[in-house]
Amino acid sequence: MLHDIRVIELSGPETMMAGRILGDLGADVIVVEPPGGAAGRRLDPFLDDTPGLDRSLTWHALNRGKRGITLDLGKADGRALLAELGRSAALVLETADRKATAPRADVAFPTSTVRCRITPFLSTGPKRDYFASDLIVTAATGVPGITGTPERPPLFYPVPQAMMEAGAEAAIASLAALSARDVDGLGQDIEVPARLAGMMSALSVPIVVPANNPELQRTPARQRLAGVALPGIFACKDGFVLVSFAFGQAFGRLTQRLMQWAVEQNCLEARLGAVDWSTAPQQAEKGSLTAEDMRATVDAIATLCLRHTKDEFGAEARKRGLLAAPLMDMRDIGQSPQYRERGLWSSPVTVGAEGCTVDDPARFAQFSNYTIDVRRPAPTLSQHTAEILKTDLGLSSAEVQALFVHGII
Amino acid sequence: MKGPLDGLRVLDMGWVMVGPVTGRYLADLGADVVKLESSRRVDPLRTLGPFKDGKPGLERSISYHNLNAGKRSLTVDIKDSRGREAILRLVEWADVLIESFSPGVLDDLDLAYPVLKARNPALIVASTSLLGQTGPHARGTSGVGTMGASMSGASLLLGWPGHAPCGTYGPWTDAIAPRFIVPSILAALHRRRATGEGCHIDVAQAEAGIQFLSPAWYQYAANGTVMERRGHAGSPLRVPHGIFRCAGQDRWIALDGSDEAAWQALRTIVGGPLLDSKFDTLIGRLRGRQELENAISAWTISQQADELERSLQSAGVPAHVVSNSNDLAHDPDLLDAHYCHIDDPIVGDAIVEGPRYRLGRTPERATRRGPRIGEHTQEILRDLCGYDAAAIDELKAAGVLV
Repeated sequence: MLHDIRVIELSGPETMMAGRILGDLGADVIVVEPPGGAAGRRLDPFLDDTPGLDRSLTWHALNRGKRGITLDLGKADGRALLAELGRSAALVLETADRKATAPRADVAFPTSTVRCRITPFLSTGPKRDYFASDLIVTAATGVPGITGTPERPPLFYPVPQAMMEAGAEAAIASLAALSARDVDGLGQDIEVPARLAGMMSALSVPIVVPANNPELQRTPARQRLAGVALPGIFACKDGFVLVSFAFGQAFGRLTQRLMQWAVEQNCLEARLGAVDWSTAPQQAEKGSLTAEDMRATVDAIATLCLRHTKDEFGAEARKRGLLAAPLMDMRDIGQSPQYRERGLWSSPVTVGAEGCTVDDPARFAQFSNYTIDVRRPAPTLSQHTAEILKTDLGLSSAEVQALFVHGII
Repeated sequence: MKGPLDGLRVLDMGWVMVGPVTGRYLADLGADVVKLESSRRVDPLRTLGPFKDGKPGLERSISYHNLNAGKRSLTVDIKDSRGREAILRLVEWADVLIESFSPGVLDDLDLAYPVLKARNPALIVASTSLLGQTGPHARGTSGVGTMGASMSGASLLLGWPGHAPCGTYGPWTDAIAPRFIVPSILAALHRRRATGEGCHIDVAQAEAGIQFLSPAWYQYAANGTVMERRGHAGSPLRVPHGIFRCAGQDRWIALDGSDEAAWQALRTIVGGPLLDSKFDTLIGRLRGRQELENAISAWTISQQADELERSLQSAGVPAHVVSNSNDLAHDPDLLDAHYCHIDDPIVGDAIVEGPRYRLGRTPERATRRGPRIGEHTQEILRDLCGYDAAAIDELKAAGVLV
């Protein structure tokens, strides 16, 4: 769909997801790295836990489908070649080096170029000079500050998230600017502060206090009924399952079905199964649903979960229409007939020099008349430099060799 | 210059979060977004807080305003054949239609993509649900984003080794899925400008979540290692890198002293045990991680987190408070350029979030309030669907506009 769009990605950890999304939607994405390799090549995990510039699995996951060249932008030749390459590009993606006020790559692009820069904090705000990394930006989003239990420290994902949030947001902002360009042919500068992007996953946390509500506390069981905490995650036979207790007009009937199942399985007494669960909070307030009732109900659901495997539980949740799902790990995801038959996975992508291949979860959307596919594995360091310099910029073989001799590529 | 999507017409049939957030992105960029609502089956988001001043009410949810800022609202009974016809007239008007019904619901209403396409071949329809429209488990799976998070691998990754997982804060995939739906719509619009072609886009919210965890997938697929929750905030390959307790209740600071310059700066400010020569090298710091982290904790525990953030930053150490809801509300950056005031006839002055990007030449629209239920029904039926006053009165009398 974006087959006429060329993207130049001055690679930083935060640009990688942006370029990946645009490439998946059809754009021709050229990654530009310094001769020593982009920072993304040094992000763990590594193939066979052995580091190497072409062995970062984070790099592979986020750069497959792209071509890669090296250019030293600290040198005049590097900048001149980038400017020349920029004439064919609709979009340039770049990232601020550690703080929002760090200077941009000193390269002029045509007025038709959209230039999207990802910063940690707003370059115009009081935190513009803040030094940052993924951990720091993530801490500032409000997500960890609401995750986990108060006796233990806040929780962060073991996969860096600020770079994902920022990259995806940059894909949106860039495509918006490309829409304007479709109308009048003009580019523009865009800024995407990773902190603002990451705040999306904090959901309503940012607007709670400004609406004059008490601040939120970290607690695993946010919901209580008759003073009894309602857990959201229960152990099952071979792992864990999510069970949501929801009430009210829209979701109460789903809780009713869960209780019905617990009664059928002799985990819950029939009297509690017959409670009108859509109005349970009101009944608890009146006192007709007691703390003892709620403890018995939570225990019953715990017993029900322990009797089933993740798969069995998932199947029953679908059959009955419950607000419940298995907690899947990557093995479960790989084995899931849903993802496989629906077509999430691309054709296998090569990772590393030894011929290891992986299926890539490329098809984040299914289109009626377009298919996302991975055209090539992630570029090895400088893989396409000579090809692009010769084909696109018309450099001779001797010129390319000279650039290499001088450390520019 | 106007917004980049000025003139774009969007029918937003989503509810709760994923569909509405998708619609809000388009509204911020200049599109005219009509949200279909029902006063009989109210958008559950209207019943979810936070509410202004903590007082519940269908028109008091700030979350509703936050995700529906700048849209118009239409109430029509879509199950009534006359209501369905009004929707089909909007389908003719629209460039983009967003829907997040449970898979199968649009088929039952005889409004599946082929029907919509017959009325408007250039229409771009974005459908989103937990597992998508196809696949053996798609039908029968409907619910909320905590389920999407569970099936994307995210929920298991938060918690402590040896303990039950804590799960994500809230319906995580609700925040992630729009990030894949909006680019898909914008790319389809780009193609449509050239070819006139519409399309159907189907995004499974759990599959969107998997994208943000793709390094964990690659680790499993290539190395056979299933990534596990690790509790510790920082990377095991970096030190010092993590969060440290500060003075007060549940107050923490994140700091990253892992690169050489930041480490030297941190070492100078903290002093004491950090000056020990065994911490001169990275390997020394990795081997002495526990001792080093204990020493930093002993230094942070008596300090105010926000003051510490400023002093570490001025010394050149990447650091930030682990922000909670109160920190966000008072954060100078957010007050300066993210929070927007809206003026609503019911809640009065209130604060919602602005866009998460800055476009230099085609600024996003000023953030507006969300609509009241059915606030624009009359004008939409008149101006967009082409009904005259008598026809609208008839629909109203027949109970279709609820």
